[in-house]
Amino acid sequence: MNQAIIQTDRLTKIYNPDTVPVHALRDVSLSFEQGEFTSVVGPSGSGKTTLLNMIGGLDKPTSGSVMIDGVSITGMKDRELIDFRLKNIGFVFQHYNLIPVFTARENVSFIMLLQKRDKAEMMERTEKLLQQVGLRERMDARPKQLSGGQQQRVAVARALASRPKFILADEPTANLDSASAMNLLDIMEKMNREENVTFIFSTHDQRVIDRARRVITMVDGAVESDIATDQKSQTA
Amino acid sequence: MKLILTLAWRNIWRQPGRSLVLIGAIVSGVWAGVVVSGWANGLIEQRLVNLIQTEITHAQIHHPQFRQERESSMYISAPERIYQMLDSDPRVKSWAPRTLSDGMFQSPVAASGVRIRGVDVELEPKVTIFHEMITQGAYLDETMRNPVLVGEALAEKHNLEPGYRVVLSFQDVNNELVSASFTIAGLYKTHSTVYDERTVYVRMQDLSELINGSLAVHEIAILLEEESYSGNLIADLREQFPDVHSESWYELSPELRYLVDFGGMMTGMIMLIIMFALAFGILNTMLMALFERMRELGMLMAIGMNRQRVFAMILLESVLLTLSGGLAGLLAAAGTIRILMNRGIDLSVFGDGLAEWGFESVIYPVMTGADYGEVFVIVILAAILASIYPALKAVRMNPLEVEKE
Repeated sequence: MNQAIIQTDRLTKIYNPDTVPVHALRDVSLSFEQGEFTSVVGPSGSGKTTLLNMIGGLDKPTSGSVMIDGVSITGMKDRELIDFRLKNIGFVFQHYNLIPVFTARENVSFIMLLQKRDKAEMMERTEKLLQQVGLRERMDARPKQLSGGQQQRVAVARALASRPKFILADEPTANLDSASAMNLLDIMEKMNREENVTFIFSTHDQRVIDRARRVITMVDGAVESDIATDQKSQTA
Repeated sequence: MKLILTLAWRNIWRQPGRSLVLIGAIVSGVWAGVVVSGWANGLIEQRLVNLIQTEITHAQIHHPQFRQERESSMYISAPERIYQMLDSDPRVKSWAPRTLSDGMFQSPVAASGVRIRGVDVELEPKVTIFHEMITQGAYLDETMRNPVLVGEALAEKHNLEPGYRVVLSFQDVNNELVSASFTIAGLYKTHSTVYDERTVYVRMQDLSELINGSLAVHEIAILLEEESYSGNLIADLREQFPDVHSESWYELSPELRYLVDFGGMMTGMIMLIIMFALAFGILNTMLMALFERMRELGMLMAIGMNRQRVFAMILLESVLLTLSGGLAGLLAAAGTIRILMNRGIDLSVFGDGLAEWGFESVIYPVMTGADYGEVFVIVILAAILASIYPALKAVRMNPLEVEKE
C-alpha cells in the first residue's frame, strides 16, 4: 500500500464565527495516496472548494490540521506557505488564469523560473509538457489566441511544470465544451498514469466523476461518502 | 529579476491607450518643468553675470565702516600696498579703484538723489563692461572738464541729452557740502532701470579732487580669473590687510545671494510640484491596473510567487511607466533647451517690467547636467512613491481572490 501524501485530521472551517457562523467544513478527516485520481463532489456550498483550499494552503482551518508528505502546513507562516506551494502543489483553476501577457511557453516555464531551475532543463520540460498536452504548435500563442480548452491544457502543463507532489483542480472542465473537457480529462489521466501524478478535482461534472478512481461526496461541509470506484468502497 | 522586469514591462502595455495617456502626461509635465526651470535658471544666471560684469565684480575692498556709514572720509589708506598684492596674485584678473559718494543730481528741471561713482577711466573697463553700455555720446572723455555719464532713465526724467550741464552736490571729507558743475558726456543703459535712474559715473580724479583735494579710494573692485577663487582670495586679503574690509560678491549683494540660492532650488521645487501632481495620475493608473488584475495576482500568489516579487513587479511597472515618459520628456526638454540656448526666449513684451527688476528681456535658458540628474531622481522618486500604495495593496491580497468571478 502507498504512503499517504495528504492527510487531513478533523478539519473544520467556520466563516464569520463571531457574527453569523457558516460551517464550511466539519471534522473532515481524509487521506490521499500518491497516484490517486480523485473527485470531490457535492452541491454548491457543500465545502469541496474549501477543502481544496485547505489542502492547497490557500486558506487556514478554524481547527484540525493538514499534513503534506508528513509536514504540517496548518501552522506555517504565509511566506513559508507560498514557498511550500511553489515546490509541492500544482493548481488548475476553473477560469484557466493564465498570464495574458505571456505566451503558452512562457506561462509553463514561469513557475520553473520562480523555482530558479536550470534554463536548459526548463526549456526542455516546457516543450515536453506542451507536446504532451498537444500544444507544441501553439507554444508562442498568447492565451487570448487560444480556445478555452487549449488554455486549460496550458494550465495543466503549467501545474505539472513544477513537478508537484499533487495537483488540485477546481472545476477544471466547468467552462469547457464536451469535446474539450474529454480531451482535457484524457490528458490528465495520461499524466496520472505515466508520471504517477496525483490529481484531486472538485467538480460537478459527471464526465469527470465517471473517470475518477475515487469519489468523495461532501454535503454541508462533511464527507458523506468516500468511494473507490475501481477496487474498494468506504463510507465515512 | 529579469522575469519580473519582463512581466512588469508587458503588463504596462496591456492597456496601451491608458499607458500612452499617462506617458503623454508625464512627457508634458517633465518637458514643461525642465523648460521652466531652464528659463528660471537662465534668468538668475543672467542677472548674476550682469551684476558682476557691470557693477559689483567678484570682490571688493572698503574702509571697514564705509559700507555702513558711507562717509567720504572713510577711504582706504595707502591703497598702493593692496594694488601691489593684487598685481602679483595669479587669481586676480584685474582690479580698479573707485571713489564713491551719495549726493544730489540737479538739472534745471528737477533734483534727484544719486550714487556718484568715480571710476578710473583706464582700469574700470578691465573689471566691468559698463563702457559697452553707452547708448549716446561717449565714455568719460579725458579732454572734457568734469564729464558725467547719466543713465537713460535719469536723463529722460530730467529731459537731458549729452552736452547738457548738471550740478552734483555731495559732502567732502570734512562733511562740508560741495557742489560742482558737470557736463553730460554720454548716456548709458544697463538691464536695470532702477540702477540707471540712481547712478551716475564721473572720473575718479574729478570726484576725489572735490571730496579730498587729492585721490581718495573708497572701493577697490576685483575681477577674478574664476569666480570660485573668491573665497580663498578674500581669506588671504583679510589676513594680509586686516585694516580694510574685503568681501566677495556673495557678501556684497545679499539679495543676489538669496536669488542664486533660490535658483539652486528652483529646478527641484518646480519638478517636485509637477511630479507631485503627476504622482496622483500614476497612482490612479496603477490602482486601476491592480483592480483589473485581482484574480491574476491571486493566482500568482497561489502558484508560488512570493509577496516580495509581487511588490517588486508593481513597483517596477510604475517605475518603467514613469521612466518611459520621464526620459522622453527629458529628451524633448533637452532638445528645446538646446534650441532656446541659442535663440533665447524673447520676453520684450514684458521688457519694462523685467528691467525694473534688473532682468534682461531675452532670456537664455540654462540647464546643467546636475539639473537634469535632479529631475531624473525626482521622476524616479515620484514613480516609487506613487506605486508604494498599490504595491502594498497587492501584497496584502489574499490568494483566494483567484476564485472570484
